[in-house]
Amino acid sequence: MKPAPFQYHRPATVAETVDLLGAHGDEAKPLAGGQSLIPMLALRLARFEHLVDVNFVEGLAAIARDDGWLRIGAMTRQAALERDATVASAAPLLSRATPLIGHFQIRNRGTVGGSLAHADPASEYPAVAVALGAELEVSSKAGPRTVAADDFFVGTWTTALADGELLTAVRVPVWSGRCGFAVEEMARRLGDFALCGAAVAVRLSDDGSDAVAAAGIGLFGVGPTPIHAQQAESALVAGERDLAEIGRLAMADSEPSDDVHATARYRSSVGAHLVARALEPALAEAKGGGA
Amino acid sequence: MTVTAGRFVGQSVKRKEDPRLVTGHGTYVDDITVPGLLHAAFLRSDVARARITSIDTGAAAALEGVHAILTATDLNDHVRGPMLPTLFVDGAQGPSAPIKPLAAGDVRFVGDPIALVVAESRAVAEDACDLIEVGYDILEPVVDFEQAASSTELVHAELGSNVGSTMALPPDESLDAAFADADRVVAATFHQHRHTNVPMETRGIVAAFDRYRDELRVWMSSQNPHEVRLCCARILGLPENKVRVTQSDVGGGFGQKYFMPHDEMVIVLASHLLGRPIKWIEDRRENLVASNHARADKADVQLAVDADGRFVAARIDHLEDSGAYPMGGTGGTGAFVAMLFTGPYRVPKLGWSTTAVWTNTCGRGAYRGPWMFETVARESLVDVVAREIGVDPLELRRRNVIQREELPYASPSGIVFDNVSPAETLEQAATLIGYDEFRREQAAARDEGRYLGIGLGLYIEPQAGMGPLGVEAAGLRVEPNGTVNVFLGSGSHGQSLETTMAQVVAEHLGVDVDAVVVHQGDTDIAPFGGGTGGSRSGPFLSSAARQAARQIRDKAIQIAAHMLEAAPEDLDLDGGVVAVVGTPTRSVTLADVAKTAYLGSDALPPGMEPGLEVVTRYKAPTVTFSNACHACTCEVDVETGRIRLLRYVVSEDCGAMINPMVVEGQIAGGVAQGIGGVLYEHVVYDEAGNPLTATFMDYLLPTAAEVPTIEYGHIETPGITPGSHKGMGEGGAIGAPPAVFNAVADALAPLGVRLTRQPLTPSAILDAIDAAQRSPVQR
Repeated sequence: MKPAPFQYHRPATVAETVDLLGAHGDEAKPLAGGQSLIPMLALRLARFEHLVDVNFVEGLAAIARDDGWLRIGAMTRQAALERDATVASAAPLLSRATPLIGHFQIRNRGTVGGSLAHADPASEYPAVAVALGAELEVSSKAGPRTVAADDFFVGTWTTALADGELLTAVRVPVWSGRCGFAVEEMARRLGDFALCGAAVAVRLSDDGSDAVAAAGIGLFGVGPTPIHAQQAESALVAGERDLAEIGRLAMADSEPSDDVHATARYRSSVGAHLVARALEPALAEAKGGGA
Repeated sequence: MTVTAGRFVGQSVKRKEDPRLVTGHGTYVDDITVPGLLHAAFLRSDVARARITSIDTGAAAALEGVHAILTATDLNDHVRGPMLPTLFVDGAQGPSAPIKPLAAGDVRFVGDPIALVVAESRAVAEDACDLIEVGYDILEPVVDFEQAASSTELVHAELGSNVGSTMALPPDESLDAAFADADRVVAATFHQHRHTNVPMETRGIVAAFDRYRDELRVWMSSQNPHEVRLCCARILGLPENKVRVTQSDVGGGFGQKYFMPHDEMVIVLASHLLGRPIKWIEDRRENLVASNHARADKADVQLAVDADGRFVAARIDHLEDSGAYPMGGTGGTGAFVAMLFTGPYRVPKLGWSTTAVWTNTCGRGAYRGPWMFETVARESLVDVVAREIGVDPLELRRRNVIQREELPYASPSGIVFDNVSPAETLEQAATLIGYDEFRREQAAARDEGRYLGIGLGLYIEPQAGMGPLGVEAAGLRVEPNGTVNVFLGSGSHGQSLETTMAQVVAEHLGVDVDAVVVHQGDTDIAPFGGGTGGSRSGPFLSSAARQAARQIRDKAIQIAAHMLEAAPEDLDLDGGVVAVVGTPTRSVTLADVAKTAYLGSDALPPGMEPGLEVVTRYKAPTVTFSNACHACTCEVDVETGRIRLLRYVVSEDCGAMINPMVVEGQIAGGVAQGIGGVLYEHVVYDEAGNPLTATFMDYLLPTAAEVPTIEYGHIETPGITPGSHKGMGEGGAIGAPPAVFNAVADALAPLGVRLTRQPLTPSAILDAIDAAQRSPVQR
């Protein structure tokens, strides 16, 4: 299992990086934590003439909270995010989803941006991004642009990133007020990609009642992309309290498929349960005053 | 009877292997390099069955760094003898597939080697493989082994049938009568899915043929270096004294490395043809797709019981999937599955048949307890019977298990069990797991809507000592400075033999365990031996080591008696010192004795041959038996199908333990594999014969997080080997599958679920619950 030959580049700045990516187009790939890319190269499932190592690029690993948003640099290691107090208070859902990513050895290398840009539909961060309404910051030789999470994930391992573009950061809106968050997933073993899973966020009304003012539900492992379960969110905000029904509504937006680990039917059935299992503690947390 | 631990034997002596292995300083085959070494990669078929219409190696041959590209045309005529294990060369072990070095004219499974690229590095060799163009005329493959016998497509056209072998007992009217007269006959069909050995170290070899000396030097990841030497000599037509095989540290084999596998033979042939040293280290994808697979079995089974729930007759009709090129012949395992089916129970009558079929899939090979489907099928069936007749599974086993006073007990197959304790291990396991208390806990949980289950797996594990499997050798040399070297024809690949055999020698020679160094795995150093496999090293190899130690001890005492002018019977050898019993000042050290033996031969007793060394062989009994009972508890989440194992208990009887820590380590490894087999590990092919589980993302192994803490109980019923040891290397992997399977089935029984297939994936659990809800089983 040796990768096909490639040329290795190690830029120091974002400008150098996007120059390289721009020059080599679809023959180049950024190398972040390498937890998915390197095995795919070794298995020769993926081939790139040029690998652009972004591990030494300055300024890509900062975490900052500002004006209702949490900004996380793309090269932030998952393990660093997991331990970060700012993330824990501004985006508890991200913190809680992180221990479910692989094993700690993987999180030591794996990056936030790498996981989002790799866009495995069974991974946690993309689902969290759509649940919370995150935005992704992208740079290229043409300059920066921002893409909403809902528009970023196009298909399995496919995003709105064009050739020559680099994901530099993710911006997550801070959900404030009486909020609750939870992630539930079913994986074959500890650390495996989920067969199916749900990341949920709820905010209760400012009037002190238990009415749900806002809801975010992101599903993973049940379609070619993370699924933003908007029908289920609307029903929650409209007052639906039967969580099993919310779970079924969430699955109405999903497109699960079969693989060696589980059938589509399994993913659909269990996904509905997991939505309900996540919403129950999230609602309880919000009623208790919030995360 | 009780077993008394010795000073070293019976103690949990720390492993001599560990300082180098746990610090990452072992020497594996990939650590070996020799001058002029070239590296190899196989181009393998990516279709299951096809005629090869063309092979174009032009672009690959032109790649810089490529030394040679070999195809069937170059290599296949170079073979001088059968590419089969020595045991199978005479055909007595069943028919063999038509094995060739490289695919000639057609391919028969995904992974079938078509070409071998030899290059300056493995990376270049893989680049070259990518450049070879193979034209295929695709044929319909035989993938489903249950359809193989009736398929008109033939895996091996030259054999004329997809049935490799079939055996059955003749019709038996008394068996039919026993079934007819029984109070109840319970029938079931069980499937065990295909899985594979997955040693942590994949296969690998360095083969260096020196055409000027006409000698072959081989370093290989092996369980059996002398078998590799026999094989190399046979396929090259070389005398055995022109072949030297070395096996250094080996990262597991579990049967995969017991014989010399096909691909390693190809590397040896290539080295011989090219006159260059060649290294091939199998990658993980090759290991998962093209090494060997195991376990793929199906059985229709029946058990007849009388009104008291006593077993009166059993029947098993067994079908096994041999794949395209099984390691060795086929049909050998099935007979053991059938004959051992009644296991540790009193069953007067047994009927059986067994059939092995060829398919266009990776060949079957030995995997820890190759015949273990007998235990899976039997123990699963016993639980079904228990539910059908409304008797608790523990109670049903109590009524039928062979009791000590019934020993020796002749099974209906004519196997005579003796020195075993199935009833005692059953009781010990039930006590350790708190069986009755768990039943109360389970009932309380069910009132809360939670599904808990308990499962048992009871079995007797044979160690075959017949024919070439029944002789083990040990060499022992006390050096002139008194240090002790032991030379064994074993192939330790994780069994701790450097430690346990040193314990045996220290105990019986009378030296400290630290003074003994064990050498094995080198055919120029070790006496011819049977390698390590079949749980034989513990009981049989230890007997050879003990015999060698006792012979040298006797000689050392005779020499010392002459030196001390004392009678030999008044002397004792202990701690490396020979002394007159009761007069410790009258003594000589073993070093003094050895020095005399080699350098002072004039001071030896008259007529004694100088030196202090021996090579001795132990002839094992035809068979010995160990036994164990596994017990497992679990909780099943009926919404997600998630299975959580709660507790795991093993009551083991392997006779006198040489090293309890090593025994428990062997059990733990086997249990982890058994748990993996039932819950996670599954080799999956699609209908076109494409393997879908070619990486560890898809072929799931249990990790530390999935295996519960294992609790051990020991019963030591002495065996018939001189040290009373019995083999137990495979048992963990035999008892665990039914224990886990039965625990899950027990948890889901209130829902009317009947489980008949492994693996028990979450998806499979929910499907089984759905099926039960759609068509409730009549209870």
